[in-house]
Amino acid sequence: MSSPWVATLVAGLVVLPSAARAADPQPSQPEAAQGAPRTQGPEPQGAEAREKLEEEIAKGLGQGGPGPAAAAAQGAASAGQPAAASQGGPGGNPMARLLLLPDISAIGSFAGAYDSYGVGSRSPREGPFGPKDTLTFRFEELELGLQSIVDPYARADVFVSFTPGAVDVEEAYLTTLSLPAGLQVKAGKLFSPFGRQNSQHPHVWDFVDAPLARGRLLAAETLSGPGVDLAWLAPLPWFTELQLAAQSTAPGPDDAERLTGVARLLQYFPVAEGTTLGVGLSAARRSEAPGAYRDLGGVDVYLRSRPLQGRSYVTLQGELFTRRFRNVAGESGTGGYAQLFVRKDAFFGYGVRYDRAPAAGDAAPGSEDRFGAIGIWYPSEFQRIRLQLSYDRAPDGRDGLEALLALEFGIGAHGAHPF
Amino acid sequence: MSSLDLKRLALAALLLAAVLPDRAAAAVKVVTTTEGLAALAREVGGDRVQVESLSRGVQDPHFVDANPMLAVKLRNADLLVDVGLDLEIGWLPPLVNQSRNGEIQPSGARRLTAASAVQVLDVPTGPVSRAQGDLHPGGNPHFLTDPRRALKVAEAIAGKLSALDGAGAGTYAQRLRDFEKRLQAAQARWEQELAPVKGRKLFTRHRTMTYFLDWTGIVSAGELEPRPGVPPPPGHLAELVLVAQREGVKAISVENYYDTKSAEVVSRHSSAKIVLVPGDVGGEPGLDSYEKYVGLVVSRIAGALR
Repeated sequence: MSSPWVATLVAGLVVLPSAARAADPQPSQPEAAQGAPRTQGPEPQGAEAREKLEEEIAKGLGQGGPGPAAAAAQGAASAGQPAAASQGGPGGNPMARLLLLPDISAIGSFAGAYDSYGVGSRSPREGPFGPKDTLTFRFEELELGLQSIVDPYARADVFVSFTPGAVDVEEAYLTTLSLPAGLQVKAGKLFSPFGRQNSQHPHVWDFVDAPLARGRLLAAETLSGPGVDLAWLAPLPWFTELQLAAQSTAPGPDDAERLTGVARLLQYFPVAEGTTLGVGLSAARRSEAPGAYRDLGGVDVYLRSRPLQGRSYVTLQGELFTRRFRNVAGESGTGGYAQLFVRKDAFFGYGVRYDRAPAAGDAAPGSEDRFGAIGIWYPSEFQRIRLQLSYDRAPDGRDGLEALLALEFGIGAHGAHPF
Repeated sequence: MSSLDLKRLALAALLLAAVLPDRAAAAVKVVTTTEGLAALAREVGGDRVQVESLSRGVQDPHFVDANPMLAVKLRNADLLVDVGLDLEIGWLPPLVNQSRNGEIQPSGARRLTAASAVQVLDVPTGPVSRAQGDLHPGGNPHFLTDPRRALKVAEAIAGKLSALDGAGAGTYAQRLRDFEKRLQAAQARWEQELAPVKGRKLFTRHRTMTYFLDWTGIVSAGELEPRPGVPPPPGHLAELVLVAQREGVKAISVENYYDTKSAEVVSRHSSAKIVLVPGDVGGEPGLDSYEKYVGLVVSRIAGALR
């Protein structure tokens, strides 16, 4: 008896009740055609019953005014529907097509950057920086989000990123909603399921920029690319998800897209009331040439504690990355970060971060260390202003300070983010 | 048997232990977003259902963490009952998407949005923008403070349960009738208790009491928040103090998950007393039924306004 057996059993148990269920009182569009006749009840007899049936069919085809009884009937209707049902007038609702628009959102990020040591040459990275000793204002990104249910079987999420001089489809993928056996497939262009921060959009991060190790070891920006991601939610009482992805990735700006396999095991455990521990293990192998590979490994830990009442919480987050090359030239390395963040209340938060990564640019070989602190003001749920100060030290002892002041806003309907 | 086999067997046993007891029980698994909805589902479902709420009564239902452990609960749900009107917009959608339970998606066969059963108030009629604060574009979602609407929701739950579990339809109908009888008796008592304070004025922190006021005839003199979700500036509080003095406002009701600082300021400068009320069933120890919850809110408000 092994886990595939259990998976089959679970699949059976998941499928059976749905097969046995009664007809949906408000069938969704594709089911309506076959569903309606079945719900008619006993065979209609005589002219009266026929008339009644005709009336019902006319109503079903949208030719009758919506009766108040129908509106009040037990509904699986979504929140927006009842109002529409009670307002129905002759000619229906001319704005109905707006209801089918996907959720549209835009998130803009801007920053003022200053550093005392020349980030561009000594610690090159993605993210806001300017010439040494000069305050530089930067437009970072405008992320346009389009999100919607596609049909009863899948949803789609599209994120287009506008950056200075470039437009890129950051992610555009379909997610299945009802595969059996705890499976879920994402297909399209997507962030690789490797580690915690790599699969998050920058506006979800507490700190303004990515940890150095992510850029130096995984990918210059985000490890991502077109492909397929299969995720299995194990039938356990705690959250255990195994993800297997095959994608074409191009980690560096000069790299060609090559096939990459990614595996991630993520678990969340309840530690105490309001406290959750998440632990993830990730591995990836990218084909560099026939018989030659780039191997990536990662461990991530996330501890979040939030009292039930109030808006404050504390999170402790850390990731370790390692990179090796097999049968091909390339720099192996190890790095990571650890951060502590405190959300004081609805309006303020602060945190500290320690960063370690292989040095880059004109720095001597070895590890670069960075110590950062951040203060955040959230004027509302839809805006935040962050001040991040860091001290950076290269392996050769050269050090310097960095300051970032970042503004971010979000408009429109942007889907809530996973934990 | 090799140690590998043993390990596999142990793992399989562990998996089974985790899966089987839940599935073996024939009860309909109902997951609700709030404890108020859970209490109503228990009233009509009785022993035929196993009910669990994703949030706790002491929590602000607008701000629950989208903890993936909640997605695990949704995975096996036979029915998901949510409030709707965007109350859970910040946390429920990602959980539903993670759950792999396609039928609990909005409009799914196993989803009941309670708002669809009640007449909704505070529906914005003009243009809607975030300049008005973090408002609910679909209308006010705090309708369980009104027992008449709670009964409508209980009816909808009973209807949905009967559709999903036809064998229990009789039980659900009977339990609904029993609940209705008890609730209406309680409602008559509450209305009597509130009769002397009908028409009196109170402030609320957020627009959480709209339906309670609609039911009781108590009048809102304003909210501490100038706009939903926006913290009150001193000017607004000063205005409320003047209103309180002018109109004889006697109480400021604040759900116990809110901070009371601004209420204290208004209270200090006027004769309005702070009334801490539970936000939902389970909002205080011992509040394990819908009747106890409304009963407590009624007695606190009636006491403060007398």
